[in-house]
Amino acid sequence: MQPKDLYGRQLMLTATELATLPAGVQSRPGLTITATQIQCQRCGSILDRQTAQLPKNQFYCYQCLNLGRVSSLTPLYHIPEPNEFPQRPKLTWTGHLTVAQAACAADLQRAFAAHERHLLWAVTGAGKTEMLFPGLAWALQQGWRVAVASPRVDVCLELAPRLQAAFAGTTVAVLHGRQTAPYTYRQLTVCTTHQLLRFRAAFDVLVIDEVDAFPFAANQQLYYAVDHAVKPNGAVLYLTATPSAALLRQTRRGQLKLSYLPLRFHQHLLPTIQVTLLPKWWSVIVKGRLPAKLRRWLRAYATSGQRFLIFVPRIDQLAVVQAAIQRQFPTMRGQTVYSADPQRLDKVQQMRQEQVQYLITTTILERGVTFPGIDVLVLGADDPVFSTAALVQVAGRVGRSQQRPTGLVRFVSGSYTRAIKQAQRQIKLVNRKGRRLRHDVSTLPTVTDN
Amino acid sequence: MTCLLCQRSLTTKLTLTWLLSWQPVARPVVCAACWQQFQPIALATACPQCGRAQPQRQVCRDCQRWDPQPAFHNVALFTYNEAMQAYFQHYKFQGDYRLRAVFQPVLQQRLTQLTADRVVVIPVTAATIGTRGFNQVTGWLGTGINDGILTVTKTVAQSQKDRQARLATQQPFGLVPGIELAGQRIVLVDDVYTTGRTMRHAAQLILENGANSVTGLTLAR
Ligand SMILES: [Zn+2]
Ligand SMILES: [Zn+2]
Ligand SMILES: [Zn+2]
Repeated sequence: MQPKDLYGRQLMLTATELATLPAGVQSRPGLTITATQIQCQRCGSILDRQTAQLPKNQFYCYQCLNLGRVSSLTPLYHIPEPNEFPQRPKLTWTGHLTVAQAACAADLQRAFAAHERHLLWAVTGAGKTEMLFPGLAWALQQGWRVAVASPRVDVCLELAPRLQAAFAGTTVAVLHGRQTAPYTYRQLTVCTTHQLLRFRAAFDVLVIDEVDAFPFAANQQLYYAVDHAVKPNGAVLYLTATPSAALLRQTRRGQLKLSYLPLRFHQHLLPTIQVTLLPKWWSVIVKGRLPAKLRRWLRAYATSGQRFLIFVPRIDQLAVVQAAIQRQFPTMRGQTVYSADPQRLDKVQQMRQEQVQYLITTTILERGVTFPGIDVLVLGADDPVFSTAALVQVAGRVGRSQQRPTGLVRFVSGSYTRAIKQAQRQIKLVNRKGRRLRHDVSTLPTVTDN
Repeated sequence: MTCLLCQRSLTTKLTLTWLLSWQPVARPVVCAACWQQFQPIALATACPQCGRAQPQRQVCRDCQRWDPQPAFHNVALFTYNEAMQAYFQHYKFQGDYRLRAVFQPVLQQRLTQLTADRVVVIPVTAATIGTRGFNQVTGWLGTGINDGILTVTKTVAQSQKDRQARLATQQPFGLVPGIELAGQRIVLVDDVYTTGRTMRHAAQLILENGANSVTGLTLAR
């Protein structure tokens, strides 16, 4: 096997790979086992002794099995990252940043150079990927190893081609669970945060996009992965539209520096959420009727032709809601769609091409799926499936076009839940910052392009 | 508690199908939905030689091709279907030793129903012990790694060969010196009966060493 395959990695090796082990390989146990505690050295999980038990007093990690089993039987192999990158790839992206984006981009580049741990709170639709480009370009010029990771595969799949296009002179490595192509050593890597568990002290700059895509429990493994995949003095940047309480706590403790991008690319604020309390909405709809308020809103849509999305908590509610709407407004064309819907792509396409006026859905359709100029309605916004992050993301679907940068976000709910209140609070906070920034930007003497 | 196979949380509500299934009532480790994916083989109509599920009891086509061996037959608990394949993928190849608990009760229960002077387990190679760390069969039976009766020389895993190659393999097993088998009724346990080559090699060795009969017991066929 080639030394490059082990640069900054930590892997278990097969007998064949072990037979051709290059010089300079380090190995260490996959588990640390003491009288009181067993910890996986790859994913950081503290293991239950009895559950992790193999015969003959051996142990294995049952928490990161799908990357290949870590056990006390076989060590993890590693070669320290040498940054063996003869070429220094240049930024080939020729787009422009807004003044606010450029200021933010400069801030990020400074944070990379200062080896900081940083949180960028950017509203949905702010154009955060483009803001990364100057900082990433600078880091690659230094000969640094860089990774952009996300907990979500679909985010990685969307990021990879954009980064590849932005740095056309180099090949971007893409790593995720559905990937079959073999690993190659590259200066710029796009991967899932899960794949970071296979790295050790590899990256000088590590960017985590949509860090709050999963609830906190899953995030503990994520933070462990990040801490170990980055070099001890490397820079970490978390990107999020809806920071969790845990991340914000770290910023207050000074463990993370915080910066905001509260304005969307078209300089408008996030739409505010209007909550209507209708505790009986479901029992009315289930009878095939529509609550009076909802009927009024939909009548306005039927007249104006305005397009909209309706979110409901559960898949089995989709058809019921659609039936009630079609009964009242038979001429208004709509579709239902959910994440595992075999016709999902087709239906999304119909909405994009304006063949249907509305979609009823259970899921925030994947990133990149935006419908310009839509309104959003959430039925049952108090349902536990709608976390604060989900509600902010839902609201962020609105106002994503230059032509119609504002729009309506309406929640129908039985009560004001904590998640709803927090979503409203987050939007209010970034909008306050956005207003201030808009004011500052308008008084800047010059406009700088990238 | 969550289901060992799908990680959904386990409700302790006992359904009728659950009660009628083979899963003992005490402390279920998999959910009813996962358990129902496994297909039990009806003993009354299974092939009398290899234990394969059939519409009616008769020697199956595979078994007609073997030389008759009246002192050996195999009993199998489940049909080797997609769910079983996924189970083996996770338990045996990924090495999730926790999954032994899924079939521990049914296998141990069936074992008590068979008359045996001695239970013999198909061993795994030293290389497998070195990396996997367990024998999938003794995992179910809860008895060490190999049981110290049979030895096995290094072979290419059966799962990596096609049928022709599997049938042509030489005897991979040996008997640990000092083991007395004369006149005994042996139950020989393995994970899957596929071509029958492995099982029949071991049975032949045991019979050559004076055993009276060999009953194979496999989880899947
Ligand atoms: Zn682990
Ligand atoms: Zn299950
Ligand atoms: Zn048969």
